[in-house]
Amino acid sequence: MQSKEASVEDGEIGPVTGAGSEMDEWTNFGDDDIMQQQYTIQAEEAKKVPFVGDKEALSSLAAEYKSGSPILLEKIKLLDEKYAAIRRARGDGNCFFRSFMFSYLEHIMESQDQAEIDRVKANVEKSRKALQTLGYADLTFEDFFALFLEQLECLIQGKETSISHEELVLRSRDQSISDYVVMFFRFVTSAEIQNRTEFFEPFILGLSNTTVEQFCKSSVEPMGEESDHVHITALSDALGIPIRVVYLDCSSCDTGGVSINHHDFMPVAGDLPDASCSSEKNIPFITLLYRPGHYNILYPK
Amino acid sequence: MTSSSGAARKNLSKIACNRLQKELVEWQVNPPTGFKHKVTDNLQRWVVEVTGASGTLYANETYQLQVDFPENYPMEAPQVIFLHPAPLHPHIYSNGHICLDILYDSWSPAMTVSSIGISILSMLSSSTTKQRPEDNDRYVKNCRNGRSPKETRWWFHDDKV
Repeated sequence: MQSKEASVEDGEIGPVTGAGSEMDEWTNFGDDDIMQQQYTIQAEEAKKVPFVGDKEALSSLAAEYKSGSPILLEKIKLLDEKYAAIRRARGDGNCFFRSFMFSYLEHIMESQDQAEIDRVKANVEKSRKALQTLGYADLTFEDFFALFLEQLECLIQGKETSISHEELVLRSRDQSISDYVVMFFRFVTSAEIQNRTEFFEPFILGLSNTTVEQFCKSSVEPMGEESDHVHITALSDALGIPIRVVYLDCSSCDTGGVSINHHDFMPVAGDLPDASCSSEKNIPFITLLYRPGHYNILYPK
Repeated sequence: MTSSSGAARKNLSKIACNRLQKELVEWQVNPPTGFKHKVTDNLQRWVVEVTGASGTLYANETYQLQVDFPENYPMEAPQVIFLHPAPLHPHIYSNGHICLDILYDSWSPAMTVSSIGISILSMLSSSTTKQRPEDNDRYVKNCRNGRSPKETRWWFHDDKV
């Protein structure tokens, strides 16, 4: 346990500049410089991609891979048959939660489905109780819960508090709202995992050699920690919202054919939103595109 | 000046203010064992007294922690340092900086000042030797410009102490 400067002085990290030849200035520069570089990268990423981007035609995806792997290009062509558009989320470790947030809120706004709001609110209250039972002090999570519920209510049109789609986009880009909703989902996810320890334990042991509680403390609750199948399953189950994840990677079938794989995260039975269990035949209304390390939102045709 | 971190000096946001007021009330009703909050009218900087647990190397010793809250607390971790003199401990530098993951990368809004205090006291209690970190002198020298510990890249490869 020590500060990372040890390795700086060992010469592993740290550029040398003309300024200062003393050892301590040199090492000092190394650490500060790396931190500064991290801030700069974050700031540049922020300029490039807001928390939630604009809806873009799917062709923008192909443009990224112009000279990329033929398998990927082939797969993007297949995606193009089914999906019309993509909306990017910032790659800050919160992209799964952020994509889920926007996709869900936008769905409610477009469907004006009050029954779905009521259904999800009942599940939010279950999560609240679960956190209390797990020993979380109300003051640690109540602001996040309140802010999410407030956002939900604004989506139904014709009320004094109603917001436009444009405002929904702005709020998703406003850190003081967007991060609070992401954190709300992190609380809900953590509660679900710890409430069903026996179910999640084998998956968590496969990811990291920690206890379920430690996993939640270190890989679910801190902002910026990336999401895995465990997070998606838990969030989908806790809120009763199905999620489709479409995978875009370089894998190909043995038979030589290229196909796009997807996985539907279906909440434990008996608690599905109406839209997905009746007419639409179990097709999730949330579709995310997964490329190794990153999630974005997809819009079906 | 021990806390010249620019980020920490902006005024608290409204939501941060509300949260801290709730934490303060909770602390006053139910303070963590071994801690005393020296109440001032400054919500953004708490000075907290910690007394080493009996039966540990720090029994009956009293130290002061300074906790500075950023404007977007609790989304961002508070800056926590020991005021002079800092306890002799393998993870505590002589300038008061503390090498503890929850103060940096592993912070989450699910934590509170109270839970930070408990973690720090437990870190003191489990120590088997009163000594400074190996790289103390070098690190402290590099912090002469008043750098915040939050600007340090920390390694946390020993979670036993």
